[in-house]
Amino acid sequence: MLRNDADSWGAPAKLFHWGMAALIAAQIALGLLAAAWRLSPTKIELFFWHKSTGMLILLLMALRLAWRLANPTPELPSGMPAWERAAARSSHALLYVLMVALPLTGWIVNSASNIPLRIFWTIPLPAIVAPDKAVADAFALVHRGLFVLLVLVLAAHIAAALRHHFVKRNAVLERMLPWRTP
Amino acid sequence: MKKLIVSIGLCAAAVGSFARAADWRMDPAGSKLEFVATFEKAPVPGAFKEFDARLRFDPAKPAGGALDVTISVASADMSVADVNKEIGGKDWFDYAGFPRAEFHSTELRSSGGDRYIARGTLSLKGTKQPLEVPFSWRASGDGAVMEGEFAVKRGAFGIGAGEWAKSEVIGSEVKVKFRVNLRKAG
Repeated sequence: MLRNDADSWGAPAKLFHWGMAALIAAQIALGLLAAAWRLSPTKIELFFWHKSTGMLILLLMALRLAWRLANPTPELPSGMPAWERAAARSSHALLYVLMVALPLTGWIVNSASNIPLRIFWTIPLPAIVAPDKAVADAFALVHRGLFVLLVLVLAAHIAAALRHHFVKRNAVLERMLPWRTP
Repeated sequence: MKKLIVSIGLCAAAVGSFARAADWRMDPAGSKLEFVATFEKAPVPGAFKEFDARLRFDPAKPAGGALDVTISVASADMSVADVNKEIGGKDWFDYAGFPRAEFHSTELRSSGGDRYIARGTLSLKGTKQPLEVPFSWRASGDGAVMEGEFAVKRGAFGIGAGEWAKSEVIGSEVKVKFRVNLRKAG
């Protein structure tokens, strides 16, 4: 089944979800290591992979958003309190915003620092802002702030999914699992 | 007798033209010495802002020529603040230890048309290496422009020492491009 319906996620939506989860986990590890590493070829390699992966995430997000908008979204379980519905909707919206804003602010930092990049050694990345140290420093701060926010929202996202499964015993987590075909 | 006068005249003309072509000095305005390194296979341009070239050259008779270039290595600018901070260090150009680079050639030859090759020695960061610099020559009025490009291996001069020597991150080949505006010295 490809398309979503009122009860279940189609295969592309699941692939986007888990593929993005894996990329974000790798991206967080790369980013933290790159920032902490002493200046050396290894640090540059880590940043190279972090930046390339970030641009891949940005591209996939465009496809993911298009797919999400072109499909029905499976409904939340009936009987969910209003505050939980509001929390689910706003945290999902925030995750989407962060998955776009983090690569974008990273791109701005890279452009403002005037560092050339060929994504995965192949596609030259154009600069989106002029070289400017103040801009680079400011957006590096924004990038880090958004990262902290992402970690918090992801923690809430995972905790909520586990709560749906183990406490409320509904299908919310299960219906996103790749091997489960309803 | 007539033959003798003609040949004396030719000799004088030859001597005269040699004397006229004896000396060229660089006009810094519009002259450029640029290089392109690679960073994860992306080109990173840079330039030496201060350098000087002197030339003894007759395009019709390049063999008697000489080219002398001096470069203030510390004038290197790669327009990335973090990179500019690093390249002066010991692992890279080592501005403190080797502030000047030089190229000297007394072996100039034609390579067809308006193209020439200066074979000489490049001294950079305390290392001397033979180098062939190809260039084109374009004369106009009392000036001339020489332009060319060539590639050097940064490792041959210890640019990027220690862990930076491996070429996966910073490529081993650096392209050098130059445009030198010359005025007849006089």
